[in-house]
Amino acid sequence: MDAVPHSGVFSARHLFMRLAGLMVLLAMICLASLLLGAGDVGPARALAVLMGQGDAEARFVLGSLRLPRTLIGLVVGLSLGVAGALLQAVTRNPLAEPGLLGVSAGAAFAVALALLLGATATTMRVGVAQLGAMVGCLCVLGVARVSGTGNDPVRLVLAGAALTGLLLSLTSLLLLFDQRAADEIRFWIVGSLAGRRLEHLVAILPSLLLAGGLVLAMARPLAAMALGERIASGLGHRPGLIRLLVIVAVALLVGAATATAGPIAFIGLVVPFTARALAGPDVRRTLWFCLPLGPLMVITADIVSRIVVAPSEMPLGVLTALCGAPVLIAVVRARRMPTL
Amino acid sequence: MGREKAAMRCDVSAQNQTRQWPAEERCEGAANDVVAPSGHWRLAWQAADGRVPCSLLIDRRAFGAALVLLMALLMASLAYLAMGSNPLAPQAVLPALVGRGDIMAVFLVQELRLPRLAAACLTGAAFGVAGCLMQTLARNRLATPGIIGIDNGATAFAVASVIGLGVSLAPPAMALVGASTAAALTFGLAAGGGTRGYRFIVAGIGVGAVFGAITQLLMAKVHIDTANAAYPWTVGSLNARPAGAVTLLAVGLPLGLGAALWLTRALSLMRFSDAVASGLGLRVSQRRWQVLVVSVWLTGLAVAVAGPVGLIGLIGPEIARSLSSPRGVPVVASALAGALVMVLADLAGRVLLAPIEIPVGIVTAVVGGPWLLWILLRPASRNLA
Repeated sequence: MDAVPHSGVFSARHLFMRLAGLMVLLAMICLASLLLGAGDVGPARALAVLMGQGDAEARFVLGSLRLPRTLIGLVVGLSLGVAGALLQAVTRNPLAEPGLLGVSAGAAFAVALALLLGATATTMRVGVAQLGAMVGCLCVLGVARVSGTGNDPVRLVLAGAALTGLLLSLTSLLLLFDQRAADEIRFWIVGSLAGRRLEHLVAILPSLLLAGGLVLAMARPLAAMALGERIASGLGHRPGLIRLLVIVAVALLVGAATATAGPIAFIGLVVPFTARALAGPDVRRTLWFCLPLGPLMVITADIVSRIVVAPSEMPLGVLTALCGAPVLIAVVRARRMPTL
Repeated sequence: MGREKAAMRCDVSAQNQTRQWPAEERCEGAANDVVAPSGHWRLAWQAADGRVPCSLLIDRRAFGAALVLLMALLMASLAYLAMGSNPLAPQAVLPALVGRGDIMAVFLVQELRLPRLAAACLTGAAFGVAGCLMQTLARNRLATPGIIGIDNGATAFAVASVIGLGVSLAPPAMALVGASTAAALTFGLAAGGGTRGYRFIVAGIGVGAVFGAITQLLMAKVHIDTANAAYPWTVGSLNARPAGAVTLLAVGLPLGLGAALWLTRALSLMRFSDAVASGLGLRVSQRRWQVLVVSVWLTGLAVAVAGPVGLIGLIGPEIARSLSSPRGVPVVASALAGALVMVLADLAGRVLLAPIEIPVGIVTAVVGGPWLLWILLRPASRNLA
């Protein structure tokens, strides 16, 4: 990944082994996601379909329900995990998380507004969500920067929480106006992978590719930013531009994920947190580890949400909040707040 | 009262030094010559034998603030009773209150609007006082029960009892249990870092997120009709208020308010650092416990009626502080301001989008959210002291 030799637990060989292990784990979880479900198509019948036989019902459940769901979980987890890592690197704040900073809430609000104004098209929804994510992100970071509170990680989170609360109540207010929009958005706003079709995935792919390109271009400058803005500009980077481009990438990723699965909190906090523990502080390595870790967590949570309250389902956002909030508390409680 | 006693002691000692009067006269003179400290009125009941068995100091500015808020609350209540989808003339409201006039007006006022107004006043006052107490306890104006997760805890437990999760306790009792659980969690988790600063609040936000998720989980598990029955609790609404919970709040609020008033002196000392407060003779940890219990008690009872309308606990005390003098902790003014904000917010929710009704929790969130952001992001944040 880079030329600097590392020794001990963060040596290149160790990291490669860990990454490979995560990939294997991810493959197993994807398989489990295909095999397990809330309905009466059990693992044995599902396995038969995978072997090339099996009955029509099982084939339908696997092909039209569980496969899209797994793929969408893969993409959503990837976007949210990478977006979290980017946001944390650019704000140098271990608590910066798209859900906590009002980015997801901005996307949700924009989608509700668009639905209220009569939009139905899936593609339109993605663009609108990304725009909303962008505005939400710029709101918190911009205001925090102007007022000089951006350096205090915890205060930034509080500001984000306040903005999230405000946007969520505005969204509920909008939904009160319009019963049709409320009906259309009800299953989306809780955050879930259920009932999403592959067209949703196709609609978000271009913006994801764009965001991927941005991330590749920004990885090196971001690593330099970790040394501080002055050193980064001394090394020939332009901090203002980097920050703007990274925020654009975050908005693209979070907007796409939110448009598909609804607002899902805490993935962007837990994934980079784990990735840093596995890969060390370098943001380039952290990003590599976020790639398998994000889908791993989202799909695992999705499997659990299918099984826990079977035959009905639990919203995914609920499960991630249940797992993510303790991590938030653990980070805050740490005697010395880890700085980035 | 303490300052008045001190003033009395001063007088006596000064006269002891000059030794001009006999003992009886001295006592009488001391009692009558007591001058109230500036900005206060002194009320004293003088017995027939000239002794003063009981006296009271009233902060003029706090009294004025309470009076202004009370007048505003009365005006708002009148508007609340008059306005709605079927508006009444203001001069028709007062007769209807005592059961005279048009039978429709009497029904509207007495059966529909008055109980709801009472619930709004009671919950608003409870949220306001709870917020004021918690802010003083944590020495942080952002540390209101709604923000540090206590509302969400109470809500989760109340919803659990509504959707009948094999629990036979009534919602108020469950809400109290939930509020205590959330408070214990937040304070326990923040124990290492103390209750000062923002980490405590973010720990509270985490606790609140967990309880919010539990509420959602409970709602997802049950049938849609049951979920609808529990829905008002999740946003904060006065529309479907359980009668039993209102009665309990009507009994519990005076108790909590009385306890808060009894704690007022301790509260104004608790605004200083622990070292100063205990140096001034305050048993800090004991008082902290009492303040916490009162705050949790009021929050739990109020949530059982109206759901989490937590931002009242931020806005009410804020208004009260800006009106009152900085000498004391404005408990009474917080109660009145909380009730005022709640009544106005519910009125706005009923009237603005009629025939749709906006839940009061959403109104307060839309109004209070920007306020919260402003407090947070101001360059120089003023301390609560």
